[in-house]
Amino acid sequence: MTIEKQLRDYILENFLFTDDQSALNNDDSFLDKGIIDSTGILEVIYFIEEEFAFKVGDEEMIPENLDSVNNIVNFIQQKQNAI
Amino acid sequence: MVQSLIHMLQRTVQKVPNAEAIIYGKTRVSYEQLWSISISVACFLSEQALKKSERIAILIENSPEYVEIYYGAQAAGGVAVGLNTAAKARDLETWIRHSGATWLFANAHHPELPRLMQTFGKELKIVLIGESNKIQSEYNWKNIVNSTNEEFDIPNITNSNDVATIIYTSGTTGNPKGVTLSHKNLVSNIQSILSYLKLTEKDRILNVLPFYYTYGNSVLHTHLAVGGSIVLENSMMYPNRILEKMVSENVSGFSGVPSTFSLLLGRTNLSEYDLSSVRYMTQAGGPMPPANIKQLLDELPHIQFFVMYGQTEASARLTYLPPEKLFEKLGSVGIPIDGVTIEIHDEHDKPVDAGVKGEICAHGDNIMLGYWKDPESTNQVIINGWLHTGDLAHMDSDGFIYIDGRSSDMIKSGANRISPKEIEEVIAELHNVQEVAVIGVPDDILGEVIKAVIVKRPGEYLESREVQAYCKSNLPDYKVPKIIEFLDEVPKTASGKIKRYQLK
Repeated sequence: MTIEKQLRDYILENFLFTDDQSALNNDDSFLDKGIIDSTGILEVIYFIEEEFAFKVGDEEMIPENLDSVNNIVNFIQQKQNAI
Repeated sequence: MVQSLIHMLQRTVQKVPNAEAIIYGKTRVSYEQLWSISISVACFLSEQALKKSERIAILIENSPEYVEIYYGAQAAGGVAVGLNTAAKARDLETWIRHSGATWLFANAHHPELPRLMQTFGKELKIVLIGESNKIQSEYNWKNIVNSTNEEFDIPNITNSNDVATIIYTSGTTGNPKGVTLSHKNLVSNIQSILSYLKLTEKDRILNVLPFYYTYGNSVLHTHLAVGGSIVLENSMMYPNRILEKMVSENVSGFSGVPSTFSLLLGRTNLSEYDLSSVRYMTQAGGPMPPANIKQLLDELPHIQFFVMYGQTEASARLTYLPPEKLFEKLGSVGIPIDGVTIEIHDEHDKPVDAGVKGEICAHGDNIMLGYWKDPESTNQVIINGWLHTGDLAHMDSDGFIYIDGRSSDMIKSGANRISPKEIEEVIAELHNVQEVAVIGVPDDILGEVIKAVIVKRPGEYLESREVQAYCKSNLPDYKVPKIIEFLDEVPKTASGKIKRYQLK
């Protein structure tokens, strides 16, 4: 399964409570669209840390890394490439 | 005493017309500009023949426009009704209908707006803030802002008990609770808060609290009353961004609820930021773990940290813990603010001695007029002029109050007081649900998270996700249960009341 698919499934299942793929665009801002709130983003971070086996540093908790499916996919790929 | 919020703002504008009132992204609004647009709103409403005490609903996130509409509505003699922007159409419809609002100022992009327009039709006059391809209205914010307003005189408040604002705290369709606050309520509470926070025109606060809630509402009005500046940020989702903004805007104050501070302490490195400009921080909205208070003060030893307690029904604030007593009285919510008397009452409504647990009861000019159009509920909480808070506490021999719990079933998640009944009412609408009970269970960051315990109808199939999806489409996200448990039956007392404590 691709990183994108894993993330989409997780967000659809846990925040939008649906398997309707059209409910989430990969560039939707979680903050602007109200998809995830300040505690929800912590759950997303735990998910990333568990599934992709790296630690998200406090300084990495910024919208450029986490605020959309695309941003997270890029962030994960960067982290994996750096290992 | 100044008559009303609008008179307070007028005084500030005369004192510091060019000072920054609101900073929102790249927009910086001076007091003079804020006043000018507020008066434009008032002129518009007057031209539209707004009657005294007519209700004006506001459905827009924290922004300069929210403030301009709120003050403009009051300048025109109306009653401002700030609506929870996270709410879904069913709650919004209930509140608009219950308040009898004739006007709605709304963000044109609010996802529930098309349904509201369909429901109310011409019954509700809607002013759109911003532009949207999907909806249109006869009334447009730009036209209001661009109108001239030189001739407008703000009215005198002849009766300080006139209604200034209504704040809805609960959305159950059968029993919406609209806390009704007078000009006197708001002004007296602001004066009391100013006397202990000692705010001045030099203060700049970074605010993440929604203005439609009483805590955010009081942060807004206290700072505008002294000519301070309010830097708006609408989410704690990226706490590092909040700290960067605090540094770049040189803020002197920050207000939060316990989960706000948990996020700051847990997901940032406070010592990496130069927060030397910060003079004070305030905390309300539920108990903050003493360990977090100690950690915060270890990281930021130069700040004054104010623990506070209050209720919407008290215009916001009832008590504060003087910072110099913070560690001596750690765990206490402090002493009554100026103008407020607090007693702890027993089950016979008689004051108890120091150290004895009872219900917090409060008396003062800040106590609400009542719940809008609901004398029965009002009479249950205001008895002989005393507000009965539903919070259990004891007072020590020095008069410091310690909260021991709540006598009601309300769930406290983040800073939200959530009625289980509201959520139960929604879940019970699912045809395959026979019975449902909603409770709060402990959570490290939010204090409590929502759990729904469901008994399915015999032979029916139901998944957690279906329940959560239905809640999400009918309730604000923070009211969607995090945990769903299916049981064969719900424990009850002999009289049929759910034993919620057994479900935790």
